[in-house]
Amino acid sequence: MREEIARLRDAMEREAYVTDRATATAAYLAMTLQKPLLIEGHPGVGKTEVAKVLASALDVELIRLQCYEGLDVTTALYEWNYAKQLLHIKLQEGSAASAREREAEIFSREFLLERPLLRAITRADASPVLLVDEVDRSDEEFEAFLLEVLSDHQVTIPEIGTVRATHPPHVVLTSNRTRELSEALRRRCLYLWIDYPSFEKEVRIVRAKTPDVAEQLAGEVVRFIQRVRGRRLAKTPGVAESLDWAQALVALGADALGDDLVDETLGCVLKDEGDIRNVRGAIAERGLGAYIADGAP
Amino acid sequence: MIEARTDIIERVTGFCRLLRARGIRVTPAESIDAVRALSLVDLGDRLDLHFALRTLLTTRRDELSLFDALFAEWWDAPGLKDAKPKASDAARAARRESRPSSAAQENNAGSPALTRWAKAGEAVDDEAFAVVASPSTTASRARKDFAAFENTDLAELQRLTSMLARRLNARRSRRWKPASGGSGARADLRRTLRLSLKTGGDPLELARRERKLRRTKLVALCDVSGSMDLYSRFLLQFLYALQHSFARVETFAFSTRLVRITEALARDTYRTALDTLAQSETGWSGGTKIGGSIAEFVATWPRLVDRRTVVIILSDGWDTGEPEVLGEALRAIHRRAGRVVWLNPLLGSTSYQPLTRGMQAALSHVDVFAAAHNLASLEALGRHLAL
Repeated sequence: MREEIARLRDAMEREAYVTDRATATAAYLAMTLQKPLLIEGHPGVGKTEVAKVLASALDVELIRLQCYEGLDVTTALYEWNYAKQLLHIKLQEGSAASAREREAEIFSREFLLERPLLRAITRADASPVLLVDEVDRSDEEFEAFLLEVLSDHQVTIPEIGTVRATHPPHVVLTSNRTRELSEALRRRCLYLWIDYPSFEKEVRIVRAKTPDVAEQLAGEVVRFIQRVRGRRLAKTPGVAESLDWAQALVALGADALGDDLVDETLGCVLKDEGDIRNVRGAIAERGLGAYIADGAP
Repeated sequence: MIEARTDIIERVTGFCRLLRARGIRVTPAESIDAVRALSLVDLGDRLDLHFALRTLLTTRRDELSLFDALFAEWWDAPGLKDAKPKASDAARAARRESRPSSAAQENNAGSPALTRWAKAGEAVDDEAFAVVASPSTTASRARKDFAAFENTDLAELQRLTSMLARRLNARRSRRWKPASGGSGARADLRRTLRLSLKTGGDPLELARRERKLRRTKLVALCDVSGSMDLYSRFLLQFLYALQHSFARVETFAFSTRLVRITEALARDTYRTALDTLAQSETGWSGGTKIGGSIAEFVATWPRLVDRRTVVIILSDGWDTGEPEVLGEALRAIHRRAGRVVWLNPLLGSTSYQPLTRGMQAALSHVDVFAAAHNLASLEALGRHLAL
């Protein structure tokens, strides 16, 4: 493994993020080639976490843009500070400045409210990590606009002119695949698919994030969840659910799973009434042992 | 050293060619990135190279397993420099190419069914279509199966489609546009402030903004093969009505091949529309090649479908082609469309189960699978059309 990749991986591991080589390589290439990294995967596998961990591993600012339908320029890029502008006009009432001069005054950087995208390209000290979270939830117009910002690292504000990044941000986009992203956006990005982790990796993740968890409990929790993932569910539990559950069980002072305990805390794992009934039925039929015992289910 | 580098660059560009040959789209820019990345990873380390090339050259999850297989194939076999399709691939491709020989005889361009419908239509004047019907959606009429439908009900159908079209048009987006006032408009601070400069900072004129209207498009693919004879006539009337009440709709008919009938349906009267259709070589009442026809749609009209498009397929799912072709074509549409609706007239019968192989292949790529055998079922369609 290339030394730089190994170093990045170690740095990410130090932030308690269990990093596989594919992730470390992708993150390293994205930073070196200055390309956005598009991460896809099932909900709760730690896509967003990559950006957060990257920011703290690099010790730079994390700027997050949460996408939703109807997200527009005023929430993503910039907005004028109207209250301040009005106040300024009032204060200048007696001055001899012409309307043109006044206009130039109130439409200057001082009256600009920076939103995440603009913030990401105006950092003066170091490249921040820009997390564009759940980009699939934004609409197509926004995607096209985003593409423009990401490819040139510059933004044009009609009243001010073009703002160009001195330190291009490291961009991480995440998508839950609720809709297909445009081909143009995909082509612009490096691509990383994060799958559900293997048993060993998930145990490592649970133990890294929940240091107090007993070894046996961590194993049982992960095995249970991995076997539940094999069922047809409305909402398949992700790694986030494993962590929630392990933390809940630790808080309850458990060091192994039991029938009552599973029954009481199943809400940490399954977030759908039908799924809970489905899994309860399966446990009643085959016994909890079939879900947490080592070996073939 | 230089020689070794040239060699590895050749290996990588060759690999890109192999990926392209096997259907993973790799642009020249991506090949260049791949070569650039070579200096960034440890070339002696297979995993480094694998992960680096994978993150650069793939763009979606579906490509990953094929990529991994091809990577292993290419980098494990040093002698192999050209993309040679495997025998199994060739066989699959050959299967895909083949068309059952019955197609020729089924594909009779003459259209007895159309002529029949046109004749039946003569009994009723076309004006019936334009007249707004009395509000008599009696339960019995609403439930009547299309197979037993009379032309007098056309007006009712027209009323229904106008209602559907209104619903499609009435959706508001979350985006804003400047407005001249009126209901639903809100204050637009940005423009108000700009206007206030004229009056020395006193906002005398209030600018407003309102939500944009969301534009949904429709693409309808209607099965007009023999097995659909009873229904496709009425579905066609439905599509005709839709074409006339909704601006952004593209309509295609297919049996063994695909024909765009948007313009024919846009004719002034239903009769002239039918006449125009009768002259086109659609293969009315012939055999069915749903998969092939939809694949043709994907290949010929790739730009028609986007996230604002609802794709409606009207068919009973009786396909004489390979189910994989249908599944593959629908997957391509589903990936791009806002919604894919499959209307199956047979679904109206309680005993019907979607067990045909074609239907089985299709179901996983369809958002809504609904009946289309009477007016009530079409009325319920409104729910699915709005994006």
